[in-house]
Amino acid sequence: MAPSPEPGSDPSPLLEARDVTRTYRMGVERVPAVQDVSLQVRASEFVALQGPSGSGKTTLLNILGLLDRPDAGTLLIAGREAGGLSENERADLRRDRFGFVFQTFNLIPVLSAQENVAYPMALAGVAAGERRTRAEQLLAAVGLEQKASVRPDLLSGGQRQRVAIARALANHPAVVFADEPTANLDSKTAEDILDLMRGLCDSRRVAFLFATHDPRVVARARRVVSLHDGRIESDVVSPEAPR
Amino acid sequence: MSSFALAWRNLVRQRRRTALMGVVVAFGFAAFALAGGFIAQSFEGLREGTIRSVGQLQAVDRRAVSSSEETTLEFGITDAARARAIVARDPAVASVLPRSDFVGLATNGAKSIPYLGVGVDPEPEAAATGARELVTVGSYLSGDGGDGVLLGTGLASALAVRPGDRVTLMATTPDGSLNAVDGVVRGLVDVRIKELNDRYLAAGAGLVSRLLQSSGTVSKLVIFLKPGADEAAAARRIASALSAAGHNVTLRSWRQLAVFYEQVKLLYVGIFGFVGTVLVVIVILSAAIVMTMAVTERTREIGTLRALGTRPSGVLWMFLAEGVAIAVIGCVAGAVFAFIVRAVLNAWGFTLPPPPGGTHGEPIHVQLYPLAYAAGLVAMVVTMGIASYFPARRAARLSIVEALAHV
Repeated sequence: MAPSPEPGSDPSPLLEARDVTRTYRMGVERVPAVQDVSLQVRASEFVALQGPSGSGKTTLLNILGLLDRPDAGTLLIAGREAGGLSENERADLRRDRFGFVFQTFNLIPVLSAQENVAYPMALAGVAAGERRTRAEQLLAAVGLEQKASVRPDLLSGGQRQRVAIARALANHPAVVFADEPTANLDSKTAEDILDLMRGLCDSRRVAFLFATHDPRVVARARRVVSLHDGRIESDVVSPEAPR
Repeated sequence: MSSFALAWRNLVRQRRRTALMGVVVAFGFAAFALAGGFIAQSFEGLREGTIRSVGQLQAVDRRAVSSSEETTLEFGITDAARARAIVARDPAVASVLPRSDFVGLATNGAKSIPYLGVGVDPEPEAAATGARELVTVGSYLSGDGGDGVLLGTGLASALAVRPGDRVTLMATTPDGSLNAVDGVVRGLVDVRIKELNDRYLAAGAGLVSRLLQSSGTVSKLVIFLKPGADEAAAARRIASALSAAGHNVTLRSWRQLAVFYEQVKLLYVGIFGFVGTVLVVIVILSAAIVMTMAVTERTREIGTLRALGTRPSGVLWMFLAEGVAIAVIGCVAGAVFAFIVRAVLNAWGFTLPPPPGGTHGEPIHVQLYPLAYAAGLVAMVVTMGIASYFPARRAARLSIVEALAHV
């Protein structure tokens, strides 16, 4: 397992996995998806988890994003041990500190673009007026201020992903998890989406953590963690990658 | 955007499914409301009919409660006029009707038929019980009845007599001897129980007194109270007053006398309960299937909601809210439907077949019974809540990762 990159100037990582293991049961067989992985993610990092299918990158992303629980090992969120958290505490942490961008966009079909963006704020108890203002600002930040009242089924794939990015940023998260965010987009749109995310990473000091096959994502990442058979094969910081 | 608002949006999105479940609930609710109204009306009719027949209270000799008479009027109330006056003085009493029960043979000269006779004070009897309305041919007894008699249509038919014909009545007197008097048929009455209709005979107190040779004695005093009167309190006062005057009587309420009323009521409640249970089970099963389909179809959406920070309870409430909202929508539609069906049934005057032993079917009349509507609403909301709970709980417990990967 490769060590985490230089700690940098920020001494406390946003996320830290220590010897995390996750095994799935396939019939009678137990298949290890992630084995003894240790990793730290700090503020404003733009990290790509790459590897072939079945290498464990999505599983690791899910564990770090509190969508799944490891079988063994320790997960720290801003220095706090997450293993003993209840489902409600984990939900609250996801709501307040994390954002998620999915390959299939996963917008709520009955809500407009603005309502989708405002939904995590409603969960956090943000007042209706402020929700509306912030959702409009976020939609403007992703270039969709004209589509605020439009339902997802009337948006293009790129527009949906932009709404999903705006939604991921709704509650000022520390980390945005993106699982293959460009897989369902054409090249031009994918490039635009990646540029947008990188810009938001820099402007809002939000860490982005990708699980991806896409070489364009890898090319833009400042740090690339390669996984193979559930283990970290390499963890490389690319100084030449644009910030 | 609360779980409830999201639930509402989903109901609107899935219009066809919402409409389907709404129709199931609407029919369930309407069945509750209509059956409840019909049964309430039936109970009310049965109660009124029973009271019209036996009165609200009856004063009888104590011995008549526990023993059978060996001879006619053996356990009668003597000095009935005085006892009647005492009862009539009670402020809660609307009317007091003396009645004498007797049996005997009626003959037209060629044929003799057994009868069940009742001696009445005709005018007060007709006023309190509406007995005049039962006369189908001829007229009711007038004045003190004179020598007039009323016959059940079945008995009249068996004797081949009509109003104006003479019949001879035979009966045993209290001392055991046989007596006979002539009477004139004044009218025929339609007693709605066939067995009784074939034996029924009523006569005025004068004729009965001559037949039984028992002046001043009656079998019972049938008491009708004023509307809203406290039955139990009135019974206590009247019993006390009669006792103080030396009458060894007891008072029995119509519920004690009409055992069949409670039996019929229990039967109806049993039938209604059974049908209601079947109805609820059908609604639960239908709703559970529909809600399970909804959860399955929206599995990935549930995963997304959970990933974004919705607590498991938020997902649970969302699906419960959908179920309850369908229940409320269905009940509103069901109430409208029930109003229409009720109006049609009541306007068209459908008639039920006669009950066993009866001669006439009753018209269907469905009462507007708010309690049945309230019960229907509660039943449907609870039913949909139960039906939605288990799919909703399953949704709340889904693994987020598996839900997000659901295709």
